[in-house]
Amino acid sequence: MADIKIEIDGQIVNAKAGETLIAVTDREGISVPRFCYHKKLSTSASCRMCLVDIEGVPKPQTSCSTPVSDGMKIYTQNEKAKASQKAVMEFLLINHPLDCPICDQGGECELQDVAVEYGSDVSRFSEGKRVVAASDIGPLIQTDMTRCIHCTRCVRFGSEIAGMMEMGGTGRGEDLKIEPFLTQGITSELSGNMIDVCPVGALTSKPFRYELRSWQMASVDSIARHDLTGSNIYAQTYKGQVKRVVSGDNEAVNETWISDRDRFSYEGLSHKNRLLAPQIKVAGQWKEVEWDVALDFAVKGLNKHVLNNRKAHQLGGLASNTATTEEFYLMQKLLRELGCENLDYRLNVNNLEQAIVLASNIKLEALESVDYAMVIGSNLRLEQPMINHRLRKAQLAGAEICALNVKEFDYNLKISHTTVAPQEIATLLAGVLKSVLEKKAVELPEYLEHISSSELSIELAEKLLNAENSVIVLGEHIVNNAQAASIAQLVTDIAEQVTGSTLNVSMTSNSLGAQYAHFVPTSAGMNANEMLQADMRAFLLLDVYPEYDFHHASSAIEALSKEDVFVVSLNSFNNDLTAEYADVILPMAAMYETSGSHVNINNDIQSFKAVVQAPEEAKPAWKILKVLADLLELPGFHYENSSQISSELAHQPHEHSHDSAIDLTSKDDTVETIWMHSAYHTDVLLRHTAALGASQIGQTHLASMNVATAEALALKSGDVYLGVPIDITDTVADQCVFVSSNQATIGGL
Amino acid sequence: MINNIKKLAKNLSLSELRSGMKITAKELVNTKITVQYPEEKTPISPRFRGLHALRRYPNGEERCIACKLCEAVCPANAITIESEARDDGTRRTTQYDIDLFKCIFCGFCEEACPVDAIVETHIFDYAFESRDGSIMTKDRLLKVGDDNEKAISKAKSEDAKYR
Repeated sequence: MADIKIEIDGQIVNAKAGETLIAVTDREGISVPRFCYHKKLSTSASCRMCLVDIEGVPKPQTSCSTPVSDGMKIYTQNEKAKASQKAVMEFLLINHPLDCPICDQGGECELQDVAVEYGSDVSRFSEGKRVVAASDIGPLIQTDMTRCIHCTRCVRFGSEIAGMMEMGGTGRGEDLKIEPFLTQGITSELSGNMIDVCPVGALTSKPFRYELRSWQMASVDSIARHDLTGSNIYAQTYKGQVKRVVSGDNEAVNETWISDRDRFSYEGLSHKNRLLAPQIKVAGQWKEVEWDVALDFAVKGLNKHVLNNRKAHQLGGLASNTATTEEFYLMQKLLRELGCENLDYRLNVNNLEQAIVLASNIKLEALESVDYAMVIGSNLRLEQPMINHRLRKAQLAGAEICALNVKEFDYNLKISHTTVAPQEIATLLAGVLKSVLEKKAVELPEYLEHISSSELSIELAEKLLNAENSVIVLGEHIVNNAQAASIAQLVTDIAEQVTGSTLNVSMTSNSLGAQYAHFVPTSAGMNANEMLQADMRAFLLLDVYPEYDFHHASSAIEALSKEDVFVVSLNSFNNDLTAEYADVILPMAAMYETSGSHVNINNDIQSFKAVVQAPEEAKPAWKILKVLADLLELPGFHYENSSQISSELAHQPHEHSHDSAIDLTSKDDTVETIWMHSAYHTDVLLRHTAALGASQIGQTHLASMNVATAEALALKSGDVYLGVPIDITDTVADQCVFVSSNQATIGGL
Repeated sequence: MINNIKKLAKNLSLSELRSGMKITAKELVNTKITVQYPEEKTPISPRFRGLHALRRYPNGEERCIACKLCEAVCPANAITIESEARDDGTRRTTQYDIDLFKCIFCGFCEEACPVDAIVETHIFDYAFESRDGSIMTKDRLLKVGDDNEKAISKAKSEDAKYR
């Protein structure tokens, strides 16, 4: 686009031909009032507030829909512009209830701000105002549609960004109502953004309702850690509590959107289940004690059980993937200084011999420009909402997306579904690799010779080869696949052959931080599953809740509960099981209460400060680990803040390249169960968030299988499978059950 | 010299004493303005700003809707409000405290209130018997309002025509 010059209010500015006028004025810092315009949404020009006077045009024009052209002379403040803006304001206020004193948007309302400048003191409208009955659209968003000014930002957000047009306008003129089309309410995983885009108080946050005014809170920027995106957020605090979370802007990470779980998870912080004081178990009885007593007890216990008799190899360290990078680093440093190599965060993996090793070599922003994407084993929309959003943008720009899943998930983008049984995925990918190699006339490795390319694999190979910029996304459902390592290797090989990229979304939260901090056992140590089987004498646990976190939940509980095993457990929430097996429970700070950093899928290390203090006696885990190390008389733990830890970590060598041997032989014919926690139950904070738990996604508790599998398992509609109600549908692949549940894994697997 | 003679003549004529006695004689027959406080009180402007009160509607419902404008406008930060959605879904305060030690009786809270809930009454002769007596809680404020509703609404209506 050519550079042109235009004149705004007598000031010459540069612009690009075809840009909208409002984009230019925004860039130049010239204020033009607006309601319906949003830089990330399409133009609707429905509010008419941004009218400006353009020389040579008889009537004022909306600056959001007027493209600039060379030599254009625009007046945003002259009499004509002002008069038309005032007139529009008067129209908008005709039906607005002006109930600002009880409106949660009061103080941060775009209509209020603009009305102060452009509104009249006295209304000339004496007729009755319209009233729209409120409708309940779910536990996250409160509606007051009488306040709606029909800017349609929420409608456009739904159809353009969330990909599900759940809100829409019905009726015309005076009868126009913005409402959800369906009675089920809003189900999108990004729905909370509608609260942010709504310029008035028609859509407000339900958990935050009537609590505070915007001017009462302090806003602190932070990083959400529930997924691999690490969305930038603002946590708004009042009297030492997080009261609301709104999205921050970062084009490279989350643009200006955040997922609902990032937005509402703060609610769990004030749950009554929080752990508030250190506790020790004396003669089977729990006793709340001071920190020094508890730490002393922990150190004595560790000395007695493992350290005094040089049995550090019988000590194990397990951490959940929600810990900060600094916590991972300190914990592995502590354990390694003690001579212990047994540490792991990969608790949800069935077979760690088959752990997925796959690099992510495409940035989030670049995902938008792929022309072909293959999503394997992931319900990306719910598991990684912001990554899914980027892929959706790619699809809207013309990219083709295909999904190889065990179930046809409800995507919000055009995607060609192929259901593949978990036992078949490796063979299918081997077929794809073979077809690719054959097409490129490259010699086949031995293991591919017996593979026959199916029609599907040839088609996929062709598409991958034809694409200029492809990406293969490997998701969480593959983690427990019997051939997971081979699948990851095949993905790497295919991507290499077709010069495409790979994206590893098979783990979540801060798993990448754990890898970065070397929180994985070397060959000298045991991994999580080996620890559970070995004869251990002590465990150090970092925010672990075995009934949810472990794949082998029951054997984990068994291993931790053994008579002579000493368990030091750092937890942010109370848990009955922890109380059963632990000997010391140390209360740690939850998300928002600790400083540290998160490593996202771009490999950006995003640091954050503690937004609020942890309640009562709870302390940030890095401080607890530091003091524990000091008490164990380990050298090199003189940290005063978490950024000293991260700078030490930054100087450690980081390398991980790894080739797995591909083994396509093992193949069993038993029914495979893929157990995924519902998207709102993936970590302990989310599990304590009432509003998310009450939403439709949080209520998911279903085992899906097809008719053949149901028959093989002798189940019929209405039965339960592993304690989960079953849903017989033909959108699931053979020989597998896909469980999505908001309940603990225990008893299930 | 001439001035001294004038002064002497004035003093001898007792003119100042006579003018003083004239006022005394006039006040002897005029109505008295001394009031017997506390039995009697001087008249007060309808705009007088005394002790605060929270008002109710005639049906007994509290007026305050927890908009927090009074808290925001208070130059002395004397007002503390906590709010929530009451069971019937309306916006209400759970705490409404005014610290009378901080309050400077500027009347901004009354000006800011969109529903005439917080008002300053004509009560000025009050005392605290304990240290925390200076904190007017919601209950105490509502009590003041209930006890003085007649006087408050009278003052409000008298002042209404000037608003």
